[in-house]
Amino acid sequence: MDSIVILFISGLLGLFVGMRQQTLLSLIIALGGIILAALAAFFREAYHTPLANYSNYIPTPAYVIILLCFVTLLAILGGYKRYSQDKDHIGDYFSLILFSLCGAIMMVQPNDLMLFFIGLEILSIPIYVLVGIEKGSALSAEAAVKYFFTGSFASAILLFGIALLYGATGSFQLIEIQSNLAFGIWSSPLAIIGSLFILAGFVFKIGAVPFHFWGPDVYQGASNAVLMYMSTVVKIAGIYAIVNVFGQVFRDSYLFWIDLISIIIVLSMFYGYITAWKQNSFRRLIAYSSIANAGLMLLALANTQNSNIFLFVSAYSFATIPLIIINNVANSDDDDLKNWEGIAWKNPLIAIALVVALFSLAGIPPLAGFFGKFSLLWSALPQIPYTVILALIASLIGAFVYLKLLLLALKKPSVQVKQSIPLDQIIALLITTMASLVALYFI
Amino acid sequence: MILILLPLIFSIIAWIAPSSTMRLIGLIASACSLVASIISVSFFNPTEHVLFDLGVQLVRFSMDSLGYIMVILTNAVFFLVFLSNYYNQIIGHRRFTALAFLMQFGLLGVFTVNTILGFYLFWELTLIPIFMILYWFGSFENSRVLMKFFLYTLFGSLAMLVSVIGLMQITHQQTYDALLAADLSTIGNAGIWLMGGFLLAFAVKIPLFPFHTWQAQTYTKAPIAGTMLLSAIMLKMALFGLLKWVLPIFDGIATDFWRWPIITLSLIGIIYGAVIAIRHQNLKTIFAYASLSHLGLITAGLMLQNSQTNEFAVVQIVNHSIVAIGLFMAAGIIEQRLKTTNINELGGIAKVAPRFAFWFAVLTFISLSVPFTSGFIGEFFLIKAIFDVHVFSGILACTTLVLGAIYMLRAYQAPMFGPTKNEKFLDLRWSEIAVFALLSLAAIYFGLAPKCITDFVAHSLIQTTH
Repeated sequence: MDSIVILFISGLLGLFVGMRQQTLLSLIIALGGIILAALAAFFREAYHTPLANYSNYIPTPAYVIILLCFVTLLAILGGYKRYSQDKDHIGDYFSLILFSLCGAIMMVQPNDLMLFFIGLEILSIPIYVLVGIEKGSALSAEAAVKYFFTGSFASAILLFGIALLYGATGSFQLIEIQSNLAFGIWSSPLAIIGSLFILAGFVFKIGAVPFHFWGPDVYQGASNAVLMYMSTVVKIAGIYAIVNVFGQVFRDSYLFWIDLISIIIVLSMFYGYITAWKQNSFRRLIAYSSIANAGLMLLALANTQNSNIFLFVSAYSFATIPLIIINNVANSDDDDLKNWEGIAWKNPLIAIALVVALFSLAGIPPLAGFFGKFSLLWSALPQIPYTVILALIASLIGAFVYLKLLLLALKKPSVQVKQSIPLDQIIALLITTMASLVALYFI
Repeated sequence: MILILLPLIFSIIAWIAPSSTMRLIGLIASACSLVASIISVSFFNPTEHVLFDLGVQLVRFSMDSLGYIMVILTNAVFFLVFLSNYYNQIIGHRRFTALAFLMQFGLLGVFTVNTILGFYLFWELTLIPIFMILYWFGSFENSRVLMKFFLYTLFGSLAMLVSVIGLMQITHQQTYDALLAADLSTIGNAGIWLMGGFLLAFAVKIPLFPFHTWQAQTYTKAPIAGTMLLSAIMLKMALFGLLKWVLPIFDGIATDFWRWPIITLSLIGIIYGAVIAIRHQNLKTIFAYASLSHLGLITAGLMLQNSQTNEFAVVQIVNHSIVAIGLFMAAGIIEQRLKTTNINELGGIAKVAPRFAFWFAVLTFISLSVPFTSGFIGEFFLIKAIFDVHVFSGILACTTLVLGAIYMLRAYQAPMFGPTKNEKFLDLRWSEIAVFALLSLAAIYFGLAPKCITDFVAHSLIQTTH
């Protein structure tokens, strides 16, 4: 309970401080709130939902909440430069992010479908606002409208699925649903259609094929600072929710949906990476790369006993955030890949962070991305070997994409211009790079 | 253990040291590693295994005599690379020195690691530094060639990754000794596929015949130091993996299945490489295809899996490193001074640079496997072993000597003699003479006394043959 309350209170505080346009104080309140929330989760060891009082209650693992808080903290640090330029709205940014983080924490709890849906909405609505917060920009407005409509539609489908499942089993609790389904309600069409609808809603949220179409436009319209939060925390929360529901509730119908998931994985990875190859815009490239990575994350569903997603999502976040920060340095608010040419020569820290992040995303050991992929493949290989091999071939294409970006950034420019980075971004870059490098010691 | 960490420490030092001292740091630090490894081997009893780790469960190390040979070879190669490039621009760069030491760390890891996952980790770790070195210091006008190199290697590595995971899951073991003891005969055809994954990675790296197309282009475009590192030591990772890991572990059905396909590809590589080398005009390309041809013979010998060929394959591995450094250094000297390596534009260098002509001739004869050099004894026993098993293959393998004489003498004769086309040619510097002399001494020493290698590695090779 503590984490959500702390986050909520510091979000409210941030709103009031924001009215006085004190940027640094807002930042301190937001960071303090997040750190306190993470500490609370750490000392409680497991997180208990305030709204539920179940007999057989499963607490949320603390490390997931800490990861969510940590990634949000990095996203706020990386985006602070952009936020502080917009003094009128500084409080709004931080509060919206903190509120949305509350939703993410509710969403990763493995108990109740209804709570989970509420969490999803709390997570999404602030992000709709954040995407459209640049009122002057047409792209931003377009992105917000697109995201809002498609997102609401997906929520509706998800809710419909939950309702059908309730009709079939008479409960919102995951454990009860599972035990009821085990009695043979799987023959009931309600449960089957419900599970398909829930799957569609989830796949939309993490942005995998065939519900990926909103991704590139929304990513392109959002500013770098918002993108840092959006492309990481939403994915983490979404994939944990999907693993909780499908790994637990629908465990008995594994053979029914695993083929579907395999198709989604293969399509997402090939589509994401092949399309990313031809992009001229950095944020679209990141969007397609995130589609492919969403496909990879779904590999966690292959082994319901031991779904090892933590390493991969953290490695993905610690590689995506520095890339977006570097894009911010290269392009400020723009996102043309042309400006990336020779970016590594502007600052040694950029060069190191860039090399580490891109090799980590490409999955080259001994960086974190490799261990993430390795743990996913490790649990999935015995269950769905052909999907895993196709996924590996797709990640070869992915290595192509990241390498192309790396070569572009490393190209020696004719005139070398040094560029300094603000302190908050330096901290974020250092933390993410170190995290990618020392992953070896945590396996 | 300190032996393995030394390069990593040097790499960090090179990042923070002032760039004016970079030449000396590179030279002295690589000499330190070499001396440390030689001192440490003198205290080493070849019959024992030394186990140690760095606190990571999945990556543990062990030192045996084969590992020691490769460690000393690696350290020697890095020392010679730094020494031979002492007057070149590339050594002055902090990035090169730091990355080269990082790569040395990766290589030492490959040769000493004791767990299969660790082997994969270090194998891939070497790829990042060499990629950056090639990109920053090579003349890759468009990056297609470099991409090709990287993706070929990555493709092989991913196949190996599937095999590593599969092997660990089937046997529930990960250390070398446990994997050797594990019984793979029960899994039948799965073993063939698992071994295929490893072989694909090795075939790209060695390279074997259909997977070699990255090699010549990359060697030609790479900076000369990068080419030396690639051909003198990086390719040996694959041979080492074959010798130490794959062949002993998959002994049985899988090895029998793959033996003749691989030997056939190697024989094709021997002849194909030699024929292409005869036709080509560029010195670097000629040496690249010569390398393809020589390594084909070693691979074919390794696939036969008897203790004698294994020992002499190790001799041949050492010899190939000597030859590769020497020849690519000669090509590098010509390229650096005359800006071309096309043999049609070269001629009469012997008149202006007699010392260079002499040492280049010595290296040419070493690579021709003249008796009393290390190449002769290695090639002789490898070819003899192939003869014993299959006469026709033996005859084909023999062609490597004849064809080798054609392309090597052509590559020597055209630039050195003939009409003088190059009036100005700075003769060798002290560092270059030192490298050539060290290489020749080593080649002659191992040619006269190959027993010092074969006896030393025999202990660790015992368990790799049935």
